[in-house]
Amino acid sequence: MSGFLQQLINGLSIGSVYALMAVGYSLVYSIMNFSNFAHGGVIMIGSYIGFFAMTAFEMPFAAAFCTAALGTGLLAVLIERIAYSPLRKRNAPFLYFIISAMGVSIFLENIIIASPIGPTFRTYPRVFGAEPFVVAGVNIGRLDVMMFVISTISLIILVFIIEKTKTGMGIRASAYNLRASALMGVNTDRIILIVFGLGGLLAGIAGVLFGMKYTVYPQIGNITLKSFIAAVFGGLGSLPGAVIGSILLGIIETFTSGYLSSQFRDLIAFVLLIFILVVRPRGLMGKTTEEKA
Amino acid sequence: MDWFYIKGILILSGINLMAVLGLSLLTGFTGLFSFGHAGFMAIGAYVTAMGTVKLGLPFAAALLLGAAGAALASFFIGRITLNLKGDYFCIATLGFGEAIRLILDNVQYFGGARGWPNLPRSTNFTIVVILNIIGIIILANLINSRHGRNFKAIREEELASQTIGINVFRYKMTALMISAAYAGIGGGLLGHYLGFLQPKMFQFIKSTELTITVIFGGLGSISGSVIGALVLTSLPELLRTFAIWRLVVYGAAVVFIMISRPQGLMGGYEIPVGKIFKKLYYRLAGCIRGKQAVGGGKQ
Amino acid sequence: MKLLQLKNVTKQFGGLMAVDNVSFDVGKGSIFGLIGPNGAGKTTIFNLITGIYKVTEGEILFEGIETNSMQPYRVAELGITRTFQNIRLFKKLTTYENILTACHYNARYGLGDAILRNKKFKAEEKSLLDQAEELMNIMGLEDRRDVIAGNLPYGLQRRLEIARALALRPKLLLLDEPAAGMNPDETARLMALIKEIRDRFNLTVLVIEHHMDLIMGVCERIVVLNFGKKLAEGTAGEVQANPKVIEAYLGEEEVVVC
Repeated sequence: MSGFLQQLINGLSIGSVYALMAVGYSLVYSIMNFSNFAHGGVIMIGSYIGFFAMTAFEMPFAAAFCTAALGTGLLAVLIERIAYSPLRKRNAPFLYFIISAMGVSIFLENIIIASPIGPTFRTYPRVFGAEPFVVAGVNIGRLDVMMFVISTISLIILVFIIEKTKTGMGIRASAYNLRASALMGVNTDRIILIVFGLGGLLAGIAGVLFGMKYTVYPQIGNITLKSFIAAVFGGLGSLPGAVIGSILLGIIETFTSGYLSSQFRDLIAFVLLIFILVVRPRGLMGKTTEEKA
Repeated sequence: MDWFYIKGILILSGINLMAVLGLSLLTGFTGLFSFGHAGFMAIGAYVTAMGTVKLGLPFAAALLLGAAGAALASFFIGRITLNLKGDYFCIATLGFGEAIRLILDNVQYFGGARGWPNLPRSTNFTIVVILNIIGIIILANLINSRHGRNFKAIREEELASQTIGINVFRYKMTALMISAAYAGIGGGLLGHYLGFLQPKMFQFIKSTELTITVIFGGLGSISGSVIGALVLTSLPELLRTFAIWRLVVYGAAVVFIMISRPQGLMGGYEIPVGKIFKKLYYRLAGCIRGKQAVGGGKQ
Repeated sequence: MKLLQLKNVTKQFGGLMAVDNVSFDVGKGSIFGLIGPNGAGKTTIFNLITGIYKVTEGEILFEGIETNSMQPYRVAELGITRTFQNIRLFKKLTTYENILTACHYNARYGLGDAILRNKKFKAEEKSLLDQAEELMNIMGLEDRRDVIAGNLPYGLQRRLEIARALALRPKLLLLDEPAAGMNPDETARLMALIKEIRDRFNLTVLVIEHHMDLIMGVCERIVVLNFGKKLAEGTAGEVQANPKVIEAYLGEEEVVVC
């Protein structure tokens, strides 16, 4: 029983970090209708910024954390300007966006490998202490608790921005219909930048947390592909869907590796992806679109 | 730089071209985007290897078996995913490609994640060239027929294609299965060129590379795909001295192509190979006749 | 002789009744008009006939065969084809290729024949090329043979769409607002064309239109729809005199009767 709770808590904490990443995929998808595969690269860079801020620059955790988030926010905006904005102006089909995103992702991963940073695995210094909390006989890692707390707070702030501010209304309107929003006077160019910025901020936070839980290396981006699956699982373009999908994926993964075999952990995510696409392609909470004849 | 080295690069280009040709039919002519073709390559590679090593088949028969295996897998994938719209199909193929790789990681019969060493090195330059020529001719003949026009119609306007009586699902399935068979042959050639197989060789990035090659050459152009495969395979090899920086350049180049020349090298046009040969023939014939005339004058 | 029959056809989208219990028969060889204000359900009826949507209730019979459960391509094989309100050409292909593609149905060679380029392929392909060429000439598109369809002027795009539909050798042709965006002169020529192709190809034509001159000029019988329901049916004169029709139109549009 305590083993079960242990797994559940592990699943929740990793699921919450997936949620931070998945929300980035979903935000961009909701407005631009393409899967931004550069997001994984941005998360990876966030992980590195946080790492070097704490080690090389000896910043306290909070400062490093903010630096990473701001850095990736800026990076995401920069990527939009360089790699997507010219395509947007040309009304290019979604595939060109995806390929461009792949290009960015290849670029980011390899520039880290080629730079003096290199392909080595790096471990974050311990911040939250090794001593686990013991609640009702279950060991709960401090890091897991912090991951869950920080992710939840970040997501609540995001929801607040989207639901309660004027900019958020612009985002919601643009997600509903980008062109109509532009006609109604929403500065969609600005909205798109903000969306990338927000996604980038969350990517930085997720990168730091992910790096602390595991290690930092240039191919982290590939692992974050699973958060993309979580976004599809929940329904691309739906933020609540992304969160629910991520939590579920996190729990399913930890249970698979806990009770079956850790080798199946990655496989289960992709099998789940195909399964959900077949059974319910729009995901748990995705919006449907029907082509008009 | 010796011939042996160049030959190696050409063989690799030819192997990639095989997969790219198939993808060209699917993406360039039918308008379906796949991020899972490395998965079909993997199936082709492992089935072919099984054919030669475990069943003792001749290489050609094993290659055909590999192609059939990939096509069969694509049939099942297609049945459940071809009805999905646009990018969802593309995501589904991504999931499939990764799933294949992760399954192979766990199949100890094929060596699992550690790989499968000591395969016969049956792939040589001649075989690759012949298979590519056959592949190109089949594809070109297919494109220049009513079937080819139907593929293009589906790419342009799916709904209108239906109303002129095209069974869209069946045509998409045909394109998918043919493209998978091509990828399967590419995979079979690859394993028997390198002499070993590892699931890691067929990662997501490999699928991406194939799609990038098709787009780089220009959607809807066979000659574009050929040039694309030659350039994009050999360039990184030739830049070996660059080593670690080449993928950085590659990534940047992909973005640059997307934003500056999205129609690719050929932009949907073909190099008129037939016409060029005809012209060359007449010119040569003219030269010979001219010489004869001059010779006659001397006598 | 009835070619197409709609019997109590209903189509629901969620709570919305797009088409509500509509019945009418289209006689063989006739030119039949479908009119009504915007959102009356005209295009939905086209989508139901061509199998793009499935009927919620009722049935559609073509030459006595029920088409309700058929895929759109099967319906096309039966001999029903259409044009679209917002033109759907194969935009990046040429005029000639657009027509040639639609001729595919008149050849029977398979994938293998195409790959081997055998005699059967060559003979049938030759006949396809001739058919496309002929149709292009009939429709007056021969001087635009190699123009990319997307670059044709608007009027010719509509004409090409009709040509492409004719390539199927259909029995029933559905035209969805063929005169949209045309000036009176072009509309007059279109009217002549519709009559001409009807006679030449032994067609039955079902046409949706807002241009009243066109409808009144060519249609032998007209059905008026409003809010998904059938409001009236009859000849041009009968429909024009119907008080219910006048009422429905007066509230909605300025052009009523000419």
